[in-house]
Amino acid sequence: MEEATQAFVFFWLAALFLVVGAMVGFFSKVHWQRRTGAVMLVVGLLSLMATPWTLPSSPSSAFGHLLGSLVGPAVLLVVGFYLITFSGNVPVGRLSKSDRTMGVAMVMLGTLWLEAMHWWILTPMYPGEVNRYWLIFWPTMLLATLTFSLATYSVVGLVGDGRLREQRLMMVVAVFASLLLLLGAVLDGPNVNPNQFSSEVLLASADIFGAMVGAAFAILVFAIVLAIYESQQPSPKRLDPPTMTQLEQASHIIAHNLGGEAEDE
Amino acid sequence: MNEPVQKRPLARMGLIVMLPLAAILAIIVWLSEGSTGGSFTRFANALLTSFTLFSFMLLLTLFVYGDARKRPIAPLLGMCMSVLLGIGLTVFFLSQGELLMEDNGSVRAQALSNTIRFGTTMLGVALGAVVVAGTLFASIMNGPSQTIHFEEE
Repeated sequence: MEEATQAFVFFWLAALFLVVGAMVGFFSKVHWQRRTGAVMLVVGLLSLMATPWTLPSSPSSAFGHLLGSLVGPAVLLVVGFYLITFSGNVPVGRLSKSDRTMGVAMVMLGTLWLEAMHWWILTPMYPGEVNRYWLIFWPTMLLATLTFSLATYSVVGLVGDGRLREQRLMMVVAVFASLLLLLGAVLDGPNVNPNQFSSEVLLASADIFGAMVGAAFAILVFAIVLAIYESQQPSPKRLDPPTMTQLEQASHIIAHNLGGEAEDE
Repeated sequence: MNEPVQKRPLARMGLIVMLPLAAILAIIVWLSEGSTGGSFTRFANALLTSFTLFSFMLLLTLFVYGDARKRPIAPLLGMCMSVLLGIGLTVFFLSQGELLMEDNGSVRAQALSNTIRFGTTMLGVALGAVVVAGTLFASIMNGPSQTIHFEEE
């Protein structure tokens, strides 16, 4: 197979499978479609993660390498938070205290793993140098964490009642993300120097703002398209006013219900 | 004094989010000695890629919308036009010499590179959301239960 065909099949087709599978899996109400979507998602994800072997000469395979590098900490964080959340005040299917302890350990391990990928020797290296997509991913994740935690702090303060603890926790997360951003811009890591990190943070913020503006435009166009379509639909058929017979029947039913004997309890 | 601010919760929320973020970015710009080269190119590329890919994803959601609307063709065509507009604008601007081109040799390579970078950005944003949402729900579900006691009538 030619290199371009291989890249199309193992990377771009796989990415399409991932996106379409995720959307069908989440949005479809038909059982077999949801299952097909889940299968497509898994096949796409595995094919993307295998690109360092299936497409070793393609620059795109660095993205597959990043995905493979992030599976460990991402699974630890997701499962850890799930265990902590569902071992709390859940009325049905509550998990045990030991599950909660395991969840806390998994979240801590996942966080330490991510930190070690910047501050220790676990930095994703591909091929022979720091994976260029890791340099985009890490500042983006820190900026997103900072933004989301500040937004949640504000929303909880606005709509929450007696949620001071959650607000403080969100502030702690925001301070933690800010510290990591500032420390990365000041201190040398084993593989990433402060100048490179600072430059990547600024470029990541440009990426995020660009993505937000682009998404907003797309949603605006989507809303306009639907509004135009709905406005062109014929208005629903108006019913004729009730006839005298119908009115008499309705008044008879109402009188019967209002004037009836009281029911015994 | 606080009343005007409390009357505009969205403005207050925007300030709470944007001010610390802007301060952190300003400190990092200062630390990196004002090196902001390439930010505009990245912003523009991200905008065009995001517009095109979000239009494509919204086009897919129309199949769900179609379930409740006798499968209309017009919105599908509208969003197809939106995707084509995004692709057309991307190709047009990338073809304008050095305007939006980075370290890639051709328009196609730059467009594909933009797409992969957009995927990386989404991955970072998604994991950030997992951390924040996970922390919030873990705290809410493990805090003291807040039962609402109604007064006896």
